[in-house]
Amino acid sequence: MDPKPDVWQGTLALMVLKTLEAMGPLHGYGIARRIEQTSGDVLSVNYGTLYPALLKLEQEGYITSEWGVSDNNRKAKFYKLTRAGRKHLEKETQEWEQATEIVARFLAPEKSS
Amino acid sequence: MSSLRALGLRFTGLFYKERKDGELAAELESHLQMHIADNVRAGMSPAEARRDALIKLGGLDQTKERYRARRGIPFLESLLQDIRFGLRMLRKSPGFTAVVVLTLALGIGATTAIFTVVNTVLIRPLPFKQPSSLVMLWENFPYCTKCPFSAPDFTFLQRSQNSFESMGIFQNRELDVSDNGRPERVMAARVSASIFPILGIEPLFGRTFTSEEDTSGNNVVLLSYRLWQRRYAMDKGIIGRSIEIDRQPYIVVGVMPLGFTFPIAPVVTGLFSSSHPAELWIPMAFTRTELEGWGSMYNSDVIARLEPRTTIAQADSEAELLSNGLSALYPPAVLKALDVARIKLAVYPYQREVAGPVREPLLVLMAAVGLVLLISCTNVATLLLSRAAARQRELAVRSALGATRARVVRQLLTEGLLLAAVGGTIGLMLARWGMRSLLSLAPPDIPLPQQVSIDVAVVAFVGGISILTALLFGLAPALQLSGLALQQVVEDGARSVTSGRAKQRLRGVLVTIEFAMALVLLVGAGLLIRSFAKLLQANLGFRPDHVLTLSLPLPYNAYPKAALIRSLYQQLLEQIAALPGVAAVGFSNDLPLENRDSEGFQIERSDSGTINRSLDATWVLGNYFEATGISLLQGRWFTAEDRADSQSVAIISQTLAQRFWPNEDAVGKRIRWGTSPKLPWRTVVGVVNDVNDRASGRARVYMPYLQVPDGAVQENVVGEWRSMNLAVRTRTDPETLGPAVVRKIHSLDPDLAVAHIRTMTQVLSSSVAAPRFNTVLVGIFGGVALFLAVIGVYGVLSYMVTEQTHEIGIRIALGAEHAEILGLVLRQGAKLAGAGVAIGLFAALGLTRLLRGLLYGVSVTDPLTFAGVAVLLMSVAMLACYIPARRAARVDPMVALRYE
Repeated sequence: MDPKPDVWQGTLALMVLKTLEAMGPLHGYGIARRIEQTSGDVLSVNYGTLYPALLKLEQEGYITSEWGVSDNNRKAKFYKLTRAGRKHLEKETQEWEQATEIVARFLAPEKSS
Repeated sequence: MSSLRALGLRFTGLFYKERKDGELAAELESHLQMHIADNVRAGMSPAEARRDALIKLGGLDQTKERYRARRGIPFLESLLQDIRFGLRMLRKSPGFTAVVVLTLALGIGATTAIFTVVNTVLIRPLPFKQPSSLVMLWENFPYCTKCPFSAPDFTFLQRSQNSFESMGIFQNRELDVSDNGRPERVMAARVSASIFPILGIEPLFGRTFTSEEDTSGNNVVLLSYRLWQRRYAMDKGIIGRSIEIDRQPYIVVGVMPLGFTFPIAPVVTGLFSSSHPAELWIPMAFTRTELEGWGSMYNSDVIARLEPRTTIAQADSEAELLSNGLSALYPPAVLKALDVARIKLAVYPYQREVAGPVREPLLVLMAAVGLVLLISCTNVATLLLSRAAARQRELAVRSALGATRARVVRQLLTEGLLLAAVGGTIGLMLARWGMRSLLSLAPPDIPLPQQVSIDVAVVAFVGGISILTALLFGLAPALQLSGLALQQVVEDGARSVTSGRAKQRLRGVLVTIEFAMALVLLVGAGLLIRSFAKLLQANLGFRPDHVLTLSLPLPYNAYPKAALIRSLYQQLLEQIAALPGVAAVGFSNDLPLENRDSEGFQIERSDSGTINRSLDATWVLGNYFEATGISLLQGRWFTAEDRADSQSVAIISQTLAQRFWPNEDAVGKRIRWGTSPKLPWRTVVGVVNDVNDRASGRARVYMPYLQVPDGAVQENVVGEWRSMNLAVRTRTDPETLGPAVVRKIHSLDPDLAVAHIRTMTQVLSSSVAAPRFNTVLVGIFGGVALFLAVIGVYGVLSYMVTEQTHEIGIRIALGAEHAEILGLVLRQGAKLAGAGVAIGLFAALGLTRLLRGLLYGVSVTDPLTFAGVAVLLMSVAMLACYIPARRAARVDPMVALRYE
């Protein structure tokens, strides 16, 4: 039922960090919607998987959370990128680009031959 | 780094769960509200909006569960749950828990205590540099194996050998330290200068001896830390100062570090057993007499360090070769006089030499301890099996409700480990306490007792035992139970009459094994106790009550001449005899119970042939026989007329008389002390009874002190005739006479150190310290084993009765008498115990042979002990069975039938 947890968790974490970098502090629902908008249907069925991922990032010190008030005056928990998170995002992005590049190189000739 | 941080946070996630759950609920609620609001704005009805939001979230509870899994550590959580549940189960049956924990604690405690002592004595390396390459060398003669070395033999060996890096020689001594007007006799050692480099020991400060000092006439001394502390108030200025040793000035050159023990307890049981380590070291510095004394004064121990890459076997074969060279170097006349063709040299590992004499008892103790541990494990296994049977239904229900097999196994293992942990902890405390009591009981000749402490190896050993035990008993019932099919349990429950025959049999077998092992231990204990009793009742051949003894060595510098020595002893004899309450006074070089080296004798047979034999020699002065209570069987005592200028005489022991002159009158026969033809034949004038003290041979020759040649009396190398022992027979309590005797001695010479003031009863008691130690220990183990076996059979029968309540109820309902039921249960117990006792008897017959060396006056298959132990074990077992049997007999059939 679940996608491969490692890949999924890794990509989801990256998406969360990227979202927070682009949007600034944001609550879980907002992150979920944003990811959904950007990625299509990856998250469409299961917003719930986002919360353990947020918790993990927080435990690892890449994001912090704080209760605040949303645009619609609703109480919500806001997540914010930390300095460590920024650095981690940078590193992960680089690695991700490298990885995709390599995979792409593998896939490309296959298609052509 | 960040994953470590995450692990830490996850660990803290185990706590404050409620608050965090609340926070999560609030967060998810706000998420849902926002989503619903968006959906409503998009045109959904409120109900539809909520449904959609929940679906998109993927279920509220599922999300929470996933979140929680990330928050904490699931494995740890279920472990904590197991532990909590386990603790609750154990609390619910306190009797069971107490018995199992106690069983484990006893097993582990005893094992650890003994292991620690054994570890120290047998396994732990000596506190010297590279102890594995240290060896000891001995000389072997046909009548004396492992004899110490003489000075010329050592000199030859040192010069000719190639196998050793270096060699050292040492000798125990007692010396008077008499500066500051406080005479004190201390243990000391003469050591060659090479000893300290061989051992790899540096002084605390100052220096050790130089090889130049290792020649006669250099009065330098090393102090032990303790002596430095006690006598010289830890004054560092002591270096270079002169102190008085045996009335001679010695220059202090160094102080040895605290804890330096050398020589390591030369194991001698008896009066001069050096239970106290040496406190002074003086150079060996062989005298000319010693260096030229071929064929005499074999009184020094040799230690050596092997060359690198030389094995003991290689060194030993070189020693074998050197034996020829040495024998060739001996003056032929001496060899002839010694009655040997060849002297053989042998090499042994030092470690084993130190541990040697206590090795056998310690191994027996290890075996006993292993048995106790086995019994305690078996016991715990039995108890857990019984309990597992009682918990069948609970576990069946749990697995029906979805607990996986692994989960059940883990639960049971956790319970087992919990028991092991509690038992192990208490066991460790018991071990600490037991070790201390063990050492306080220990005879003084166990090497290195002051250094025994529980160390990492021991803790690892105990941990290993604990965990192994836990696995052993935890796994067996767990696997057995978790494999159960649900129907089987339900069916069994419906007709619990037939419940688990196979399991009952297994428990029965375990109890039987337990009884067998307990019997072996108890037989061993019984034999040792009987032997000890025999030892105490043994006809000693002298009367130890009302005898005061002390040792009175006269230092060479104050007493250089034989006349002075003789006169002091003679004066004391007269003055002490005049004290009130004194019945008889005598001196000898060799009190009963004291182990002294034997000497060479020539015996003239009736056919005029002579035989050379090594016999115990005792020189006596005054009324020695009367003072010690040795009685005359034939002939006469020595008198004041048996002097240097009269006929040379001897008194011999009964055994000696019978051995050489059987069916003849020994009085009038001739014997020669020493083998040189220059020495006179001595006429046997009397025969006395044997002294049965185990410390020495029974073949003993007594000779008058007055007939010791002047040269021998005044010589200071062996010093045997200038360090006589006083024996005073008193009419009152001998201890009260001590001060008066010492005052008399000090009135003649205030600087004289008096050593070993003890009553003969005290000497006797310390001479049986080793057998008492073994007996007490094995006795304790026997007691523990008995206790454990009884608990085992009681536990099994109790559970059997519980299981059979239904069956018993039916029997009673059908008219069975109380006595029949009682008999039924007792028979079951008797069958188990009886089988165990029978097997144990056979095992014991084979195993008690190991005790042979430790027994005195009792055969290893002593029928009385075997029968007694069997009867004891059976009756105690029956007593333990009686309690559940009575409970069975009182079963109310109505209750029993409704019980299901």
